Amino acid sequence: MGRRAFIGLVVGGTAGTLLTPIPWKLTDDASIWSQNWPWIPRVPNGDFELKPSLSKLDNSGVGVNVVTVKGRPCAVYGNPEHPLSRGGISSLAVNEAELLYSPSRVQSPLKREGDSLIPISWDDAKALLAEKLKAAGSDVACVSGDDTGSGTDVFSAFVAAAGSKLCFYMPAEQVDAGRAWQRLGGQGMVGYDIENADMVLAIGADIFESWGTHVRNAQAFNKANPMGGEQAMRVVYASPIKNRGAAVADAWVPVLPGSEAALALGIAYHLIQGGATSGGPGFEAFRSAVRSGYSPEKVQQATGLTPEQVADLAKRLASAKRPLVIAGSSFGQGGGQNAVAAGLALNLLLGRLNKAGGIYALPEAPAVVQGSMPRRQILANDFVDYMLKVGAEQTKAPAVLLAYEANPAYALPQTELMAQALDKVGFLVSFSSFMDETAAMADLVLPTPLVMERTEDMYTPYGSGWVNYTVATPVIAPVFDAVPAADVLLQVASGLGHNLGFESFEDVVKAKAEALNAMGGFAAGAKAEPWKVRVGGGAPSSSGVSDAVQAGKAWVSMATVNASGLSLAKAAAGQAAAPAGGEFPLVLAPLFELNVGSSKVAIPPHNVSTIRDTEAANGHFFVRMNSATASKYGTGQGKQVTIASKTGSIKARVSIDEGVMDGVVAAPLGFGHTAWDKFAQNKGDNVSKVLTVASEPGVAAPFWAGSMVKIA
Amino acid sequence: MSVQREFHTKWGMVIDLDKCTGCGACMVACQVENNIAPTPDASDMTRVLTWMLVYKLENKQKFPNYDVAYLPRPCMQCENPSCVPVCPVVATTKDEEGGIVSQIYPRCIGCRYCMAACPYHVRYFNWFDPQWPAGMEKTLTPFSSTRPRGVVEKCHFCHHRFMAAKEKARATGGEPMKLAEDAYIPACVEACPTGALIFGNLKDPTHQVAKLSHSKNAKRLLERLGGKPQVYYMSKRQWVLDMLDNDLGDGSHGGVTGGGNHG
Repeated sequence: MGRRAFIGLVVGGTAGTLLTPIPWKLTDDASIWSQNWPWIPRVPNGDFELKPSLSKLDNSGVGVNVVTVKGRPCAVYGNPEHPLSRGGISSLAVNEAELLYSPSRVQSPLKREGDSLIPISWDDAKALLAEKLKAAGSDVACVSGDDTGSGTDVFSAFVAAAGSKLCFYMPAEQVDAGRAWQRLGGQGMVGYDIENADMVLAIGADIFESWGTHVRNAQAFNKANPMGGEQAMRVVYASPIKNRGAAVADAWVPVLPGSEAALALGIAYHLIQGGATSGGPGFEAFRSAVRSGYSPEKVQQATGLTPEQVADLAKRLASAKRPLVIAGSSFGQGGGQNAVAAGLALNLLLGRLNKAGGIYALPEAPAVVQGSMPRRQILANDFVDYMLKVGAEQTKAPAVLLAYEANPAYALPQTELMAQALDKVGFLVSFSSFMDETAAMADLVLPTPLVMERTEDMYTPYGSGWVNYTVATPVIAPVFDAVPAADVLLQVASGLGHNLGFESFEDVVKAKAEALNAMGGFAAGAKAEPWKVRVGGGAPSSSGVSDAVQAGKAWVSMATVNASGLSLAKAAAGQAAAPAGGEFPLVLAPLFELNVGSSKVAIPPHNVSTIRDTEAANGHFFVRMNSATASKYGTGQGKQVTIASKTGSIKARVSIDEGVMDGVVAAPLGFGHTAWDKFAQNKGDNVSKVLTVASEPGVAAPFWAGSMVKIA
Repeated sequence: MSVQREFHTKWGMVIDLDKCTGCGACMVACQVENNIAPTPDASDMTRVLTWMLVYKLENKQKFPNYDVAYLPRPCMQCENPSCVPVCPVVATTKDEEGGIVSQIYPRCIGCRYCMAACPYHVRYFNWFDPQWPAGMEKTLTPFSSTRPRGVVEKCHFCHHRFMAAKEKARATGGEPMKLAEDAYIPACVEACPTGALIFGNLKDPTHQVAKLSHSKNAKRLLERLGGKPQVYYMSKRQWVLDMLDNDLGDGSHGGVTGGGNHG
């Protein structure tokens, strides 16, 4: 080959390479091939539809829109038309579609054989359940983690039909509040008109995270504080740690857990000194109880707040046009009745009953299931008290315990003692969607569909300022072999000869909707907003319950019940007192943070990434204390500690957080799961182990806010 | 030198740090919407994909003067992005009306130059193939394709929602290039229970974000770097505003000041 030919070949080759599309095509293909591996799932094609549903993973009661593609749910949005959501959603509820396929789902009925649970058919499961219930006779109890659905009515009716009175709610804010309301002589349930308040004082109650209808509360705050606009609502947070709600509040008042009642009554003291009176029954008794038990000095000992700070809160309340006090436990349980009662007393002192932005007495749901126990009766039973007595063998364990939407093996205080008590139960039945700690120790596990897979209803979750009723119908058929718990129980009941009046849960819901019509109401929506109707704004056309809920809307009623029986006589129990100290000098402030789950659901897969490495990492989790407390007890950032109480101990590392009060250890609930799946396991310890149940002063009911601990 | 294009529509976000409780709903909503696979352990945050990430800001004071704020951080969709000019394969561009910085997965060769360039840590590298628990892949949304190992990904203001809003506008006789304020909002903005995030066209004076971005309490993150983010943060607290500029408390800001000369 000559030089010319060689150059021609090179130049020609170069030009040819540049001109031919082959290398570019190959490069492009290579990048596509190397990104299209068969083991990476493909996304579905097709249009999506929105189907209304409901989330009950937390207390918020949000109505949701489920995004479905070809009938398959793939995401969940807050429903802008639903008054408890207004488009917002919690970090738990937003996962609900993914949780359909959670690795923790119970996929078929399971029966205990020795140390393991083995799959059985539904027929065998029902037969076994019927056999055990028949043998137990009246020696049966049930515990429910749901106080808004008719499912609990079916359970309580079943237990009553068997001749037992033992139907319980799992401990929760709304349980304590229900009891406190009754103690003051209240009928029905208390509702809080947050949207119309111009000042909200949250004492303990974590209104944006754990207390009541927290998504709705957050939306009320949102709308009243438009970005760059006029502020129409001020929020003051009193809590032991500058938590998430306190981060956005106008003011934060540090108050020890367990001393919420002392703070509320301390404020009442100043209001009364300023001439406030409720004008209602029991005021004289209340005034003398407050003066003797909650003087500024005593309140300072109990709360750490100076008389000036407490007086300032009283002044803020007195000078607001539409103040609202919301008191409760800073971690959504165990706060007892005194705090709620004291908060209600403040509202009465401020004249906030049946006033816009105040409190209202709302009717309870009508009973439709034959023989179901009224809410009042279930509230009179205390599950923690009962289990403690079972554990101590002061009470015989039930032959059969039915756990519905409840995980007592994980979520009760003094967890280890409670687990021992649960072990004493003759036959433990867990109606659960997930393989939680209770299912893992149960004798029979009956898989429950998620709300998206079943018919479910919800009547007025605690906190709502108006009656509301929402019904979810199945968006998808159950993806596993699950049957709604209430349907199972109705079938078993009829086999045992108990007549509960219904053959299916769907009929129960229809009957409830029918019964609710008597209250009169309307379908909520963008043009029919309950908080506006409450103050005479807008006159939505009335609607039957069925029509509203079938259209996926919330049905709302402005009905109230007579509140003339409310009395302040029992609103100030006990005396303000400083934490006990002694061997356990530190006050434990459990933290309820929704992104790490609730008492019903453990950390969902998609929520793991929301946990900071200062909250949990490499298998351990962090408790928080301020630098002064840490140095006082010889510990510091990242150090490993054992936090011990009278009843148990947990292992953790320390994270220095200056938002925690002196002498307080803040510890997040929701960690330390032993069941569930790899997303929830191997992360820290369960704080419930070190919660210590005491007897609430003046009430003699279990109370575990303000548990005392030490660093061992 | 980078060349900045001007657009008629500039999608932007205003985030009120006085309204964010750090609850995480935006983070989870984003993951679900955009098919980000869950991780069993988030101890090593460099391996976790969080297009939207909520940072915790603290004022470094001792109790009781301590204060805290939460800062949700999506992609800033900078007007003058650092990531775009450094990409050797044009896998990330800023060339579409709306001013959203794109991320084209099939083009990405995983060199991570963009990650090094981005001062906001908004870009994430897939160190592993995404894995969903068995069955959970049935809940993938149609909105965002799955990404393999070796690819960089980031927030794109839920671009699929922008497309859908334009389509809807065309179908209903509206103007796709003049969308109403609530016609297109990303999943994080929609989910936020306290309304801490709002979204709209920074160039449309009728949109709230346009007004708020000029507020005296509004500031962009690390503004002095010259990236001109399309995400604004608002706070009435001076310490929070100072922190947005990485204020170290002694008047210095760490790193290099000045800027705008990258690319």
